[in-house]
Amino acid sequence: MTQNNRCASGGRIDRSRTLRFTFNGKSYEGFEGDTLASALLANDVRVTARSFKYHRPRGIVGHGPEEPATLVELDGEDASGNRPATTVPLRDGLSARSVNCWPSPEFDIGGVNQLLSRFIPAGFYYKTFKWPNWHLFEPSIRKAAGLAAAPAQPPSSGHFEARHAHADVLVAGAGPAGLKAALKAGRAGKRVFLADEDSEAGGSLLNCDLSIDGQPAMGWVEAAVLELRGMANVTHLQNATVWAYREHNLLIVNERNPDQGSIIERSWRVRAGEVVIATGATERAMVFSNNDRPGVMLASSVQAYFNRWGVIPGKRVVLFTNNNSAYAVASDLIAAGVRVEAILDSRSCVPQAALELVPEITVQSSTVVGDVRGHKGVKAVKAVSSSGSVNWIECDLLAHSGGWNPTVHLWSQSRSTLRFDEDLAAFLPYQPVQNCTAVGAAAGQLTLDQIIDGGEELAYEIEPLWRVDLPGQRGKAFLDIQNDVSVSDVHLALREGYDNVEHVKRYTTGGMGIDQGKTGNINIIGTVAMQKGVPLQEVGTTTFRSPYTPVSFGAIGGLREDSVLFPYRHTPVTQWNKDNGAVMYEAGARWRRPGYFPQQGEGLQDAVNRECRAVREGVGVYDGSPLGTFELKGRDVPQFLDFIYSNMVSSLTPGNGRYGLMLSDDGLILDDGVVFRLDEHRWLVSTSTGHADSINQHMEKLLQTEFPDWQVMITTVTSQWNNATICGPRARDVMQALGTDVDLSPEVFPFMSFRDGTVAGFPARIVRVSFTGELSFEVNVAPRHMAELWAKVIEAGAPFGIQPVGSESSHVLRVEKGFLSLGHEVDGTVDAYDLGMGWAMSKKKTDYLGKRSIQLRREGKATRRELVGILPEDHNRQVPEGAPLTPGGRKEATEGLVTACVWSVVNDRWVGLALLKNGHSRHGEIAHVRLKDEVIPVKITKPVFHDPDGKLLRS
Amino acid sequence: MMLIPCPFCGKRNESEFIFGGAVGADRPDPNSVNDAEWVEYLTVAPNPLGPVQERWWHARGCSEWVTIWRDTRTHDIVEAPDDSE
Amino acid sequence: MTYDVAIVRQPLNALFDLKGSPAAIQNWAADVLPTLPERPNSRTGQASVELYHVGRNHWIARAPLEQEAELEKHLSPTNCPAEISIVRVSDTLTFFRVVGPQADEVMSIACPLDIHETEFGEETVTYTELFGLKALIMRCEDGFEFAVEQSFGDMAEDYLSRAVA
Repeated sequence: MTQNNRCASGGRIDRSRTLRFTFNGKSYEGFEGDTLASALLANDVRVTARSFKYHRPRGIVGHGPEEPATLVELDGEDASGNRPATTVPLRDGLSARSVNCWPSPEFDIGGVNQLLSRFIPAGFYYKTFKWPNWHLFEPSIRKAAGLAAAPAQPPSSGHFEARHAHADVLVAGAGPAGLKAALKAGRAGKRVFLADEDSEAGGSLLNCDLSIDGQPAMGWVEAAVLELRGMANVTHLQNATVWAYREHNLLIVNERNPDQGSIIERSWRVRAGEVVIATGATERAMVFSNNDRPGVMLASSVQAYFNRWGVIPGKRVVLFTNNNSAYAVASDLIAAGVRVEAILDSRSCVPQAALELVPEITVQSSTVVGDVRGHKGVKAVKAVSSSGSVNWIECDLLAHSGGWNPTVHLWSQSRSTLRFDEDLAAFLPYQPVQNCTAVGAAAGQLTLDQIIDGGEELAYEIEPLWRVDLPGQRGKAFLDIQNDVSVSDVHLALREGYDNVEHVKRYTTGGMGIDQGKTGNINIIGTVAMQKGVPLQEVGTTTFRSPYTPVSFGAIGGLREDSVLFPYRHTPVTQWNKDNGAVMYEAGARWRRPGYFPQQGEGLQDAVNRECRAVREGVGVYDGSPLGTFELKGRDVPQFLDFIYSNMVSSLTPGNGRYGLMLSDDGLILDDGVVFRLDEHRWLVSTSTGHADSINQHMEKLLQTEFPDWQVMITTVTSQWNNATICGPRARDVMQALGTDVDLSPEVFPFMSFRDGTVAGFPARIVRVSFTGELSFEVNVAPRHMAELWAKVIEAGAPFGIQPVGSESSHVLRVEKGFLSLGHEVDGTVDAYDLGMGWAMSKKKTDYLGKRSIQLRREGKATRRELVGILPEDHNRQVPEGAPLTPGGRKEATEGLVTACVWSVVNDRWVGLALLKNGHSRHGEIAHVRLKDEVIPVKITKPVFHDPDGKLLRS
Repeated sequence: MMLIPCPFCGKRNESEFIFGGAVGADRPDPNSVNDAEWVEYLTVAPNPLGPVQERWWHARGCSEWVTIWRDTRTHDIVEAPDDSE
Repeated sequence: MTYDVAIVRQPLNALFDLKGSPAAIQNWAADVLPTLPERPNSRTGQASVELYHVGRNHWIARAPLEQEAELEKHLSPTNCPAEISIVRVSDTLTFFRVVGPQADEVMSIACPLDIHETEFGEETVTYTELFGLKALIMRCEDGFEFAVEQSFGDMAEDYLSRAVA
């Protein structure tokens, strides 16, 4: 069978280029310029799909994104699902399959559902949710629903891209109205962005045989495109769908196959000064019994297949219409030599101008289609006149036109309003909310002469018919072909009380899915209006939401995949870490950090134990570069710091530092860190890694909005200083081996102070803080020197057995000391007193952030969860972090939770921290961790397991 | 994706900003208000249907804390509403 | 290559962050700096020193790295008066140049800001968003130059190489 339905000439296809493709495993041929749908019709493939719910045989209905029936899955390099066959450009080697059917649409097992259709009414899903048990239905419904499967593999070559664009004028649609608007703006020198979803410009002119000033209209289109191409200020894209209209005139465009490098699809985010919506109109279906038979097609689509693709999808045609546009279709078909058996027109009086187009044809006015015969293809149409007379007309194609809907999706997405126009029987753009205008058919100008001077087209003249309503009607009449929603489903929804149009949509699923009801929604609204006896304006439309047509996830994500899916940050030591076998983690604020450094044959715990032992008994070093660091300058820094820290900071003298807590005004602990006074007016604030950005924001907000007169200037220096923190009893030895001009003796360089000097020949600031509880020297250098410094530390430390320390060991070391970790011990319920840090709550200061709220909270005298240490009675028993503590381990409300539990090398046992009700007064008692099937007794202690007096870190 | 006017940079994409909340009452002197007044200050933020004054931090821009009036129904950035409304 | 561009990661520059009133900065450092740019997000230059006005009462001075010590001596961050802040920030930014006939197309992948020549001229310099990160962006010969926080340098390079793959 080779393209029996193809005309010998005509159409915008290249007959010299034959393309081979397969559909449901069978091989066919088409031509360059075909869509999958036009090629299937050319080959007279009538049954192309099975329906979603009842698995009824379906054919191709439309010719563009409105196609409700034929959805396909593409295989191989094109792998994608749920593509309307009408929007799949044919290419050589294309392989496509119908969705919803197995093994083929011709013979489909699921077709048995048709026999059960009375058991799958509107609201079926909701009802099964409620009774008897959704899980009984779920597996079979999941299998039956869902349409196509997601491709198993991403495309093996090529990539997606997303980019930004800006325009004075964005024009959506390159039909006659869009081209005219683009030309006008382009000639005025404006930056124009013209995007059209079709493969070539022209819009409706591609599909019909119209003229402008006596010349073929496509000649006008080609001249317009040529002129636009010559304008440097115009970007003109085809295969580019404007699918979203967001706030402040941001529109999103999906461009397919942009013919640039290996780009598969490109997403454009376009910010436009003004938007011209020239998206045309979509023909709507008629609703009558068995209106879903293969061979029942939209009249304009039949016209398009003939004019654009040289395909005539039937030999004997009946047309059914309520307006004049179908007469032009009939005229084209007659000219092509097709037998038009009859035109059935629901209007009582057919305009003379329409009749003149089809002088030889039988036109039956006041007549509707009552039924269609032919399970797998139209065989005959039942014509029923208003007087009740019936005649069956044999035919193989029924072309119908229920009128035209201006494509108002983008208009409506912009939140601009719609009104129902009685003359056009359609919803039209009304009041714009953003800077946009609708033109052409999208604005209700449904004929060419209204858009272009010199254009000629038959007047529209519709009398709406929302559904054929005959006594004793049998057979389903579909409002939404894709979701198998029939008139009876809408009636059922209304009977059951779902009478708002949005409720009707949810309850029946009418207007959902891939096509979003482009051909049928208006009939649902009309049916609701008829049933309720109200005008359509009162029923209104459902909300138009993006996307206008389906968009691939790839285009939305653009380049963001694999390694750049999330941002990441490196320090100059990252490469060394990777080279030395570190297991790298994301560790807050996007930093990639070493978790631990396993040596040959070591597991995580072995490596952590080795690293911890080095710090406790010898020396270790870690890369502390990610700590947030800010330099503050100005006369008012002291009073500012006193306001944002809970303890007294302003009394610091130059060269010294202090640990402090920052609270929010409702008493939440925001962060902890160390403040240094560099000199009279310069201060250095360090924050935890994860909170650097939020603390910067917090400080700037206070200064700019609360205290604009205070002289405080903040500069982020996190990346101006990197540091290698050398810690452990041998730290001083390593420092000496590195060589420094700073006197390191504790008498002249005590804990919580800093000195500027050189280390290993690099300018450095040495800071004596400790996050491990051991003697520590934080050697800060400029990042340009960090990698070299690190190498020298490793070299100088080698004789002392220095070990690089990862974040796992840092966690163990701080738990042994009971040092806080925000997110572990600190959440929104915990205050400084609970943590045993009441000393950090200044009594002297009359006001600081959080003071009043903590006071208020404390006055309540409610029992508090307080920080304690826990020692599992079984030394070798680890307690999971986050495990609840309950009174006596009984199944009762929790009295606390375990915040951390680590293997302590110095104690040779598991130790932990917990927040426990009245914990401070319960030291020495036994508490109980309650797991699902086990209770673990733990002894309550002070939250410190190593060097409780802090002698080592001061040494 | 809104366009937010920054007094230093002009209109910029919302993605350059971090939301800083609605502008509520000025912070009272914590030592001269009663408990109820303090809690009211902390917990009651404006949440109107219509123009609301709010702050945005130009984090990926000039670091300015920007104060705007935004209509919560439309996302329109509006002039300060007059009190007669 | 999808795009005809070259991507060049730049070596370090001498950078100093300056904050304070224009008068106070002029007073302290007029002899080593170009005239302060007055318009927001604009730049001035004199000899090899450039000055970027990147925020309210906020400037960044930029010079070749060889001049860092000399500039630091003159700007004297540790001795400048209380009402101005000067901080050496040379290491905080990693600069890239994207140059070539399609530089603007590659930049439009990275950057939501309108960088068309009518909106973003030679004298423009501004902080904005690139690949979702805070970045300083300006024109350079035959293309664009931008800088991200130093620790994001590898990621920006990764992203750029994907964009032009």
